[in-house]
Amino acid sequence: MLEATKSCIKTAFLSTLPCLLLFIFLFSFITPCASQDRPARETTIVFKHGKIAGDQRAFRAIIEEFERRNPGIRVRDEVLPSSTDEQHQFYVINLEGRSSDFDVISMDVIWVQEFARAGWLRRLDHVFPPRERELFFRGPVDAVTFEGGVYAVPWYIDAGLLYYRKDLLERYGFSPPDTWAELVRIAKEITARETGLYGFVWQGKQYEGLVCNAMEYMWSNGGGLMADGRLDALREENVRALAFMHDLIHEYRVSPELVTTATEETTRHIFGNGRALFMRNWPYAWNIFEREGSAVKGKVGVKTLPSFGGGPGASTLGGWQLGVSRYSKHPAEAERFVRFLTSYSVQKELALTVGYKPTRKALYLDPELRKAQPFIAGLRRVFETARPRPLTPFYMMMTQVLQPELSSVISGLKTPEEALRSIQRHAGRILEAGEPGRGR
Amino acid sequence: MNHRGARSGYLFVLPAAAVLAFVTIYPLCHVFWLSLHRRLLIFDIHRFVALDNYRFLLTDDRFLRSLWNTVYFTATSVTLELAIGLGLALLLNRTFRYRGAVRAAILIPWAIPTVVSARMWEWMYNTDFGILNHLLGVKVNWLGSPFWAMNAAVFMDVWKTTPFVALLLTAGLQVIPRELYQAASIDGAGPWLVFRRITLPLLRPMILVVLLFRTIDAFRVFDAVYVLTGGGPANTTETLSVYAYKVLFQTLQFGYGSTISIVVFACVAAISVFYVRLFRRS
Amino acid sequence: MVTGSQKGIRSVLFWAGLAAAVAYCLGPFVWQFITSLKPAAELTMLPPVLPTRPVLENYQSVFAARPFLRIILNSLVVASGTTFFSLAIGSLAAFALARLPLRGRHIFLAFVLSVSMFPPIATVSPLYIVIRFLGLRDTLTALVITYTTFSLPLTIWILTNFFREVPREIYLAALLDGCTPFQIFYKIFLPLAAPGLSATAILVFIFSWNEFLFALTFTSTAASRTIPVAIALFPGVHEVPWGEIAAASVVVTVPVVVLVFVFQRRIVEGLTMGAMKG
Repeated sequence: MLEATKSCIKTAFLSTLPCLLLFIFLFSFITPCASQDRPARETTIVFKHGKIAGDQRAFRAIIEEFERRNPGIRVRDEVLPSSTDEQHQFYVINLEGRSSDFDVISMDVIWVQEFARAGWLRRLDHVFPPRERELFFRGPVDAVTFEGGVYAVPWYIDAGLLYYRKDLLERYGFSPPDTWAELVRIAKEITARETGLYGFVWQGKQYEGLVCNAMEYMWSNGGGLMADGRLDALREENVRALAFMHDLIHEYRVSPELVTTATEETTRHIFGNGRALFMRNWPYAWNIFEREGSAVKGKVGVKTLPSFGGGPGASTLGGWQLGVSRYSKHPAEAERFVRFLTSYSVQKELALTVGYKPTRKALYLDPELRKAQPFIAGLRRVFETARPRPLTPFYMMMTQVLQPELSSVISGLKTPEEALRSIQRHAGRILEAGEPGRGR
Repeated sequence: MNHRGARSGYLFVLPAAAVLAFVTIYPLCHVFWLSLHRRLLIFDIHRFVALDNYRFLLTDDRFLRSLWNTVYFTATSVTLELAIGLGLALLLNRTFRYRGAVRAAILIPWAIPTVVSARMWEWMYNTDFGILNHLLGVKVNWLGSPFWAMNAAVFMDVWKTTPFVALLLTAGLQVIPRELYQAASIDGAGPWLVFRRITLPLLRPMILVVLLFRTIDAFRVFDAVYVLTGGGPANTTETLSVYAYKVLFQTLQFGYGSTISIVVFACVAAISVFYVRLFRRS
Repeated sequence: MVTGSQKGIRSVLFWAGLAAAVAYCLGPFVWQFITSLKPAAELTMLPPVLPTRPVLENYQSVFAARPFLRIILNSLVVASGTTFFSLAIGSLAAFALARLPLRGRHIFLAFVLSVSMFPPIATVSPLYIVIRFLGLRDTLTALVITYTTFSLPLTIWILTNFFREVPREIYLAALLDGCTPFQIFYKIFLPLAAPGLSATAILVFIFSWNEFLFALTFTSTAASRTIPVAIALFPGVHEVPWGEIAAASVVVTVPVVVLVFVFQRRIVEGLTMGAMKG
């Protein structure tokens, strides 16, 4: 009797469990899928982009506005993770596979040339004619131009800034630094008197952010990686700029060692907790500092990054551009959508609602925007002078050389000369191979 | 009768073989085929180069270094996981109150999505606001020093996958007949002797499986390293998968990236053969 | 020969070891849980270790901003489907490999293992082509097929081992009684390998619950999005809402562990008992 019951239970379990699993699986097919049976004359274009900051409804409303103005076109926006590496990987897999599953794509400023060269983008000269380009900031326009044509339209812009603690500078009688030497001197003096305060935090993890940081030091010393369209890394200006980055940590000790593993968010948290005097970061951090409950609310100031004296400081250009996939089946509709999203009114709307920085210069003089977002309006000068990273379709290969070399400099594993020499050799080889007829 | 057994044998294996072949044959062949090509999309290059990519490996310092990093990572993490996992399994094999709850709790590290757990450890390792430094009362830059960075990644991987080992070995222990232990205790054998003479030999097939799959996974490690350090500082933690990822998806060198992947495959295959031989002989 | 005090020491050692093990495995998760209760301003403040004022807003925003329940359901479907197919197909093959007279079983086992040896990052591109060719892009079926394939090696290897533990005599005796191989497999071997089945089921379930790369590549809308991809969508361009991510990871981890707990207790122990006595 007992045995029989047991074996009954046994069989019952054996058969119910798989059935349960199978049931859950099959159940999924009953749940209604998004209905696809719309009038046949309607075209749906798919817009791929990283997550829009803040309230999702604001962006949804913008898309609905487009659909209202363009009867017969529907827009499906499909969100990708914000991690730029994951987005790049997604596009590579899909476009290499000639996927026509999406029409409009948003691209990091460093990809456009690469994608254009790979033949993945439609040329958009007619969407973004020269007259129109005049109205945009120079940096992003350069970034979307490849071999005389444009392949994307700049959507929103980003650039490196110096954040500082207004209150602390005032208390100790300093004004915000214009040169790197001043920054070091102020940081040393104030951190000596304030316990638990770091001098200057920035991004030094081995990733793209490190390249952005390093370029700013080289540019602000009159250096840079390229000169007259050729690679010229091993310059005295660059050597001194990188040596300074190393010294910030190991010699002047105004930057803690943790910057060698820091990303934007690490430094934003440290600064936001009131634990750092200066920080290099993108404009996004500002809104977070001004939120209710922030430890540094009302105590933060921003300005352009310092220089080594003589010239102006320099910011690395960031931001996102909209392009149309070569494999799109609805290019005309897609182009119309790109034009709409980069229009004056939509850029303004996005600046007001989610804080995206417009790429159109005139918006920074717009009275309404100036009133509602004075911080954004004040960034005009920074964006005007922001410089793109080397403009070449081979940038993604170059940065794979730059990242470890720069990381080895700030970690003290290589001298600036060694690293720059290695960059010159390896990146030089890449650029040479890119010249027509010289492929290895 | 035997004939019938054989026929149903093939029939039983068929679904698995079909699924595996259907899904994987094309991708695997494709990767291998690509590895014989120089395929650089943005250079407009796509041509057959036979073994050139493989020859290039030998002169690529970055590859050799990531190979060494991978070997170090695999050796240390698999050894630790096996040791700790076996210890856990032995503990869990005893009967005690709340055993079910403890067994479930132990699985938690394995159950947290890797994308999250890698980030979670990145935060815990943070020099300034990480809990690890806070508890230890130190200011170590875990992910910034070449020595600690690699070991930090190993430690995270050990934490994450010990449950995998423990779970499988516990299951292996459960099927060892209790009579054997009873007989041994009547004979007055001490716990060490029982462990060496009964537990270990009977657990050997399971240990082989654990060792195989852990090694295969550790050798292909990607998320743990990529999220924690991105390969830095200065490529000191870059493993083969991370390198292959960068070559494939960041620089679009599909040929060379595939070659590195084939090397990963070859290494793991060689290690597997070695394990199987080792376990069969002794 | 074991004296009372020795027994006492041993039991103390046992409990100490167990406590250490639990602390080791749970510690980081507990920290994650604490983090999820912290208000934004305290996320990266140490001290205090504990939130001065625990808040639930992180949990609220996990569900408020997105169809997170739908996403959990998607993951549940994918993980269950994968577990079912993987065990069904895998156990059948494993039984044949362990007990039926097959030629080339070692070659087959080697082939199976080799499938799991390629780095996924290398196979994801061509596999994407296959999925698109089948018209399965952005479906849960694509994920079930892929995950089943890549969990078969583990399933087959583990179960082959467990079936080998079952004495050959049992197989032969059942055969003489006139059972078909399938009956032997289903009625005798499957229950006897219960610990192996449950361990495999748990591993496969969690593997498919957590897989990221294929899910990211094959899915594009909330209709087929799974948990890891959904969590990867939390951060904005620069800002990472760590409190929300912590909350989400607690939300998705606890059910799995509870499931495992129930599964192990009710089914496994029931099965083993039944098998041993029966």
